[in-house]
Amino acid sequence: MTDPNAIENNPFKELGEIPEKKYHDGYKISSTYIPMRDGIKIATTICLPKVLSSSEKLPTLLVQTRYWRAMELRIPFRWILDDVISSTPNPEIYTSRGYAIVYTDVRGTGASEGTRPHPWYVDEIKDGADVVDWIIFQPWSDGNVVSNGISYSGICSEFFALNNHPAVKAIMPGHAMWDAYIDIAFPGGCYDWKFMEIWSFFGKNLDKNNPKVFKQLLPVVWLIAKGVKPVDSDKDLKILIGALNQHKSNKYVYEMTHDKNYRDEPLPDGTKIIDTCIYPHKEELEKTRVPILAWCSWLDSGYVDVIIHRFANLDNPQIAILGDWNHGASYPANQFFPERVKVTPSPKERINAWINFFDKCVKGNGIQGKTLYYYTMVEEKWKKTILWPPKGQKMQRWYLSENNSLSRTLPRIKSSADSYEINFRATTGRNNRWWTLLGLPIIYENRKKIDEKLLTYTSAPLEEDLEITGHTIVNLYISSTHEDNAVYVYLEDIDEKGNVTYITDGQLRVIHRKISTDKPPYKIFIPYHTYNEEDAQPLTPGEIAELKFGLHATSVVIRKNHRIRIAIAGHDKDTFYRYPSKGRPTIKIERNEKFASYIDLPIIKKEI
Amino acid sequence: MEEIIPSLRNMLKQAIEHKVDENNLKITLIVKKEVKGPLAEPDEVITMFQMLGGLKEEIPMEINIDNKAQKINIKFQTKEDLNKIRAIINTIWDNTVDLLEEFIAGDLTRLKDIPDF
Repeated sequence: MTDPNAIENNPFKELGEIPEKKYHDGYKISSTYIPMRDGIKIATTICLPKVLSSSEKLPTLLVQTRYWRAMELRIPFRWILDDVISSTPNPEIYTSRGYAIVYTDVRGTGASEGTRPHPWYVDEIKDGADVVDWIIFQPWSDGNVVSNGISYSGICSEFFALNNHPAVKAIMPGHAMWDAYIDIAFPGGCYDWKFMEIWSFFGKNLDKNNPKVFKQLLPVVWLIAKGVKPVDSDKDLKILIGALNQHKSNKYVYEMTHDKNYRDEPLPDGTKIIDTCIYPHKEELEKTRVPILAWCSWLDSGYVDVIIHRFANLDNPQIAILGDWNHGASYPANQFFPERVKVTPSPKERINAWINFFDKCVKGNGIQGKTLYYYTMVEEKWKKTILWPPKGQKMQRWYLSENNSLSRTLPRIKSSADSYEINFRATTGRNNRWWTLLGLPIIYENRKKIDEKLLTYTSAPLEEDLEITGHTIVNLYISSTHEDNAVYVYLEDIDEKGNVTYITDGQLRVIHRKISTDKPPYKIFIPYHTYNEEDAQPLTPGEIAELKFGLHATSVVIRKNHRIRIAIAGHDKDTFYRYPSKGRPTIKIERNEKFASYIDLPIIKKEI
Repeated sequence: MEEIIPSLRNMLKQAIEHKVDENNLKITLIVKKEVKGPLAEPDEVITMFQMLGGLKEEIPMEINIDNKAQKINIKFQTKEDLNKIRAIINTIWDNTVDLLEEFIAGDLTRLKDIPDF
């Protein structure tokens, strides 16, 4: 949760005050099937202001989801709530400000017909244009469409812009992806198998209209919903039943990826992971000139880096926001203030900012240039920049040194190293930055005990506050008893009492360690690993190799008298696949004059 | 969803009334808010008592739904059975909102007590 008193540079304040309500009588809901170019019917729910004269025309907010556009509620909820109650935001907030809302179940999901070989496949993206064609033909439409969403829907909104439909005036991807391989499926080449497995299981059951799976994952939704909402006209549920039958041919990402290792490895149906990524479409997206408001959190999976990559790579007019909440902003996630229970900005404050952004793009002059707003934890301040890295960023080197210390001084010793037998019971638990992709809160708790299972290096107490903003780079000289393993590095803060607080982390599967001299497919701020098969380099047991990789970006102040720690692990058992799948490697990290392992912290030098 | 929770307790209590007819061993649930589509199916009523009211045992009851009048008539065989369901109905809306609040806060202690539906 950001500090509610952090007003300066606060994007939720700078984007404007609460837009005035234009419609005061609530909203009405209807549903229909929209036929696509190939005859597939897309289930659609429409919310309009309840009282709307035939002469009034509205812009439309389009939300495309794979998590059911509307729910058939259980009683008593069906008696008092709407089918779209689980939608964020509550439709009334938009309809009262003069927007129509159109929710669709993307092809192959919910009550829509069709099948899907993988998420965001080409037909699913093209459907967005067909839906817009339908929207602008409606008597209530003013011909303008904007799109937003969180997570899957957020990614949909960005893909949707690729249609370059002239009616589309703005998009707002929240907590969205850019590069499926490193942002979510294989961070650092390590398979995020728990998320991939659960997400696939969840999706499969949603597509079967089986709400039982909600019980453990989303108990609130399970309690209120009994299934996807059929379309009004489908009285005998014939179309829904037919659609559910078609969904049986859907493919799910876990089955496609769980035995894969490389970015360029073909998936069973001949597609590649790149087919689900936004970055290869950079130029097409830029050509649209569509304004983007993108938002995420420092602590959300690899999605934090998406904000930075999109900001640094896309020329579209852009507002980017990085705060300190969980995936989707339903829980605060600032690990330095675990007592906080509510997210600031509140959903209402966020939505006001969203509406102001859309209003500017639909009715005003749009937005100009690019601005990235970011929240610096512990300092509890919003900042903004038009450049990334932000002005004043310098890398400060800290060496892994004797007695598990972290030092600014290059080791002078000729030969020294630390051995660590990988503890395969090490875990960051099930409330970490990866599990939050399921909507869960992020809780790392005090890592003092956990660090006992890891290899740690700790600095002396700092003599002054130190701001770290950006990507920390880790450079380790490592040897192993095995050809393959993973390395996880945690950046932590230790206070005067010895409490250890998680800041960020990074990971690399050692076979992917080759630093490519090729130009990366998009601008990055960490060493470039291709993760391609031809670049794989198994370790030679006993031979020293260099591992250089980045941690996920962060912004934090480490206070005077606190200490910096890096903790090194070889596994995170509740999240990632085990490397190697068998055996127990012992790794040795060199820390001597010839092989000086270090981290480079991206510190912000205050201008005097 | 979270935005609705604070007002949900009152919404439920205001929208749903119940009448107990001890002489005829009957409880009537009356939904005062206009409902689009059918009010409920009889098995949904039992599921509601099990999920939200904590009904554990099988109680013989005859459930008749009057969609037009938005009434659910539940007829019992014994006064004891009627009283059990009456007790559930007296607390079910508070219990519903309590459950939602707990689940939203991440407290899933009571989740295991609820059968799968």
